Amino acid sequence: MSRWHWLFRRSQEERELDEEMRFHLAEEAQLRMDRGEGRDSALRSARRDFGNATLAREVTRDMWGWSSLERAAQDVRFAARMLRKNAVFTAVAVTALTLGIGATTAMFSVVYSVLLKPLGFPEPEHVVMVWERQPGGRNNVVQTHNFLDWRDRNHSFSKIAAYIGVPANLSGEGEPVQVPALQVSAGFFEILGVAPVMGRTIQPADDEAGAPAVAMLSNGLWQRRFGGRPEVLGQKVLVHGSPCEIIGVMPAGFAVPSVAADLYTPLQLDLAHNPRGRNYRTVARLKPGVSLAAAQADMEAVAAQLSVERPDDNYHWSATVVPLLEQTVGASRATLLVLLGAVGFVLLIACANVANLLLMRGSARRREMTVRVALGAGRWRLLHQLIIESLMLSVTGGLMGFALAWCGVPAIVSSLPAGYPLPRSGEIAVDERVLGFTLALSVASGLMFGIVPAWQVNRSRMSDALRQGGRGQTAGSRTVRNALVISEIALAVLLVIGAGLMLRSFVLLENTDPGFRAEHVLTFKMLLLPSKYTDAQRRAAAINQMLDRVRALPLVSSAGSIHVLPMGGGNSGTGYYRLDRPAPPLGGGTGGEISIISDRYFQTMGIPLLAGRDFDSRDRLGSPAVAILNKSAAQEIYADESPIGKRMNVFWSGDREVEVVGVVADIRHDALSVEPSPTMFLPNAQRPNSLNALVIQAKGDPSSMVTAVKEQIHAVDPDQGYLEVRTMEQLTAQSIAGPKVQAALMGIFGLVALVLACVGIYAVVSYGVEQRTREMGIRLALGAAPRSILRMVLREGFVLAAAGIGSGLVAASALTRYLSTLLYTIRPTDPAVYSAVSAILVIAALAGCYFPARRATHVDPAVVLREE
Amino acid sequence: MPNEDRYQSRIELLQGTLDMLILRTLQWGPQHGHGIGLAIRNSSNEVLQVEHGSLYPALHRLRKQGVIEAEWKMTENKQRARYYRLTAKGKKVLAAEESRWNRMVEAIARVMRPA
Repeated sequence: MSRWHWLFRRSQEERELDEEMRFHLAEEAQLRMDRGEGRDSALRSARRDFGNATLAREVTRDMWGWSSLERAAQDVRFAARMLRKNAVFTAVAVTALTLGIGATTAMFSVVYSVLLKPLGFPEPEHVVMVWERQPGGRNNVVQTHNFLDWRDRNHSFSKIAAYIGVPANLSGEGEPVQVPALQVSAGFFEILGVAPVMGRTIQPADDEAGAPAVAMLSNGLWQRRFGGRPEVLGQKVLVHGSPCEIIGVMPAGFAVPSVAADLYTPLQLDLAHNPRGRNYRTVARLKPGVSLAAAQADMEAVAAQLSVERPDDNYHWSATVVPLLEQTVGASRATLLVLLGAVGFVLLIACANVANLLLMRGSARRREMTVRVALGAGRWRLLHQLIIESLMLSVTGGLMGFALAWCGVPAIVSSLPAGYPLPRSGEIAVDERVLGFTLALSVASGLMFGIVPAWQVNRSRMSDALRQGGRGQTAGSRTVRNALVISEIALAVLLVIGAGLMLRSFVLLENTDPGFRAEHVLTFKMLLLPSKYTDAQRRAAAINQMLDRVRALPLVSSAGSIHVLPMGGGNSGTGYYRLDRPAPPLGGGTGGEISIISDRYFQTMGIPLLAGRDFDSRDRLGSPAVAILNKSAAQEIYADESPIGKRMNVFWSGDREVEVVGVVADIRHDALSVEPSPTMFLPNAQRPNSLNALVIQAKGDPSSMVTAVKEQIHAVDPDQGYLEVRTMEQLTAQSIAGPKVQAALMGIFGLVALVLACVGIYAVVSYGVEQRTREMGIRLALGAAPRSILRMVLREGFVLAAAGIGSGLVAASALTRYLSTLLYTIRPTDPAVYSAVSAILVIAALAGCYFPARRATHVDPAVVLREE
Repeated sequence: MPNEDRYQSRIELLQGTLDMLILRTLQWGPQHGHGIGLAIRNSSNEVLQVEHGSLYPALHRLRKQGVIEAEWKMTENKQRARYYRLTAKGKKVLAAEESRWNRMVEAIARVMRPA
């Protein structure tokens, strides 16, 4: 209030003073005209008598007294005037800063929301996940039996719950759908600490085998499928074809990190059902006062007991406790921090650029500064003034950058390609905390690039400057300018190398042969209704019938099924070994991935059969169990022997004996970037799986067949929904979405850095040429060839560029190793990228020098010499 | 930037006298800036040529010190002008200044023309 009052009063005082003076001059002139003077002469002498009106005004203003705030406001006004006067300079500087600060703000908002912001649960730091630890040290999903023992024996957790993602089939009203769902054991919601908006959570009684079927809804599903009606509570809906009572609805925004789920049902773990399979994730809440390390030690002790008690399952296995936040975002941390670092370098380049522009303008303004010092302006006041100018630039850039991020980030996040692996992306917000960061960053940037020119002004001797007529430049400021340009180029080299590495890596990845043909292949992911297909016979029959019907469609050339589709990021795994050798020691067996497929899967996917035969109608329930190996598995287990006809043991819901009937070529299954693993294939007809995906090779556009295929599925079972329909090409694209987005972002950062560095070198060389116009004139007058002038200027620019590129390459070889986890097949010191980037930078730098150099050769000696 | 030090040394020259002359002029009633300047010029028979511009800083200073106050009024020619008037404090200050001035004039006179 008082400040507004002051502002108001201030301008009123100004107005009144002006009016008073105008009145004075008018009166005086009138007086003189009354005495017979001419009008013009009267006005002139009135003004002369008045003396220095500006001085009078300033002196009067000074008397109103300036607080430091008022002084700052005055400096701000002056700075604004200076910045308006130099519109081009201001535009360039503000644009550079907007880009730099905007990009940094955008990246920071992502890093903050994803990596730093606590998860949206009460006391989120107490929520952990507990994994089994394989003998090799990797984390593994948890076995039923082990989980139950953990639950009974641990001393660290107030509660621990298991869960597994299994799609749920909803039918009854409308088209049957399958939604992502979680089966959770009792205590799951209490551990996360989130209460339902309506109804209750899954309780221990619901989690007993044989308890009445109940389910909880996500808010999204409640709105979408049930219109947000509260009466849905207590109603029965058909889940997997059988009635199930809705007992609760979770609040909007509730999500288990990195797991999509629209429906929650009790897991009902019991030892009678598949106690040895490792299937479950777990979540637990630490008891108050129990540290992570204590919980880790506790769980290791429990796991050690279990490995003694059940060595068949647990020999050399242990347990790991991981904070939920770390589990959720750990895999993204390296990428996000690399991108934040990259964008920070862009900002540094922008700052160096602006510092350079300010320095040059500072030289141009030296006379102004000198005169002001001579007139008695305090040195501190000048510094103050320069810093204020810098801060105005940086804060303007900061606010525009924030606006850029505020508009840009939601747009970018929502346009991320499907499958881009960014956890918590729904929580990304450019909010007031980010604004605080932006403002701090702006002020820091302003001080950073403002302090150099200010320091230069302070250092230079004013009397020298006056003598030089504001023309000269001190050697000191030139060194600073050159150092700034060299660092700009070095940073640009670093960024462009980073971008080059990621782009090259992405191109290599995209052109990797996955080993299968994705063209024209459509996939339907679905879970067979567990209540209807309780026995193996019916599960096998259902898939067979669907495939027979789909194969009969005119536009289908081939169709098959697989339980986990390629390019989905993972696969099932298990152990297997040859039976004609002694069984491997505990924990030392061979094994790898395992896929449950139908006949003609290989044909549909274009995977060549190398030896033996594909599965066919001979392989049924009850007929001799068979298996197919991929090339890697065949080589690993049988080396130079032929595996065909050999007998193996495989663990798949218990130990099974199989005969190898074929060998197929390797494919990249988990993702395009993951080398093929040894894999065993079992026929779905003998080991029918509930979760399955139909793969269908179309004669034309695969997406045009979706309706026809759906009809065939519903003809087999009208209640059967499906989870996801994708073309194989979409799945392949999704599997490289991460590297693609990262390469694109780094590419943009590199490009901005390159442009800024070019502007920087251009500005410095032009300025140097301008300063030396006289020298050039004399040289030309004395007979120097324009070519030699051109060479001289280019050489100067080249020296700067070479120094920058050299230091950039050194920095890159030291820093790009942080990229190594993001790179595919190439090393962070890839010589091709390094040399290409050096060449690009040399060309860019020479382009930046060329135009000023050309200008230098066009200097007219006569004009220049007369100018003095 | 104005040079504050130099300004103050210049004010020193005028301060005592100009302030006093202004106050003296206002003794006869409220007057605006131009009128004050005119009055000083006229009553000194044009000997004291006050640079009119410097009146205004002085007027503001006096206003801040509370010895005069200002008010916008219409002149006889129907123009808006800021009129200044002595305050009670101003009258006391003027009396003190006058006596100080008189003593100083006497003292200087004695020095310059010893009896």
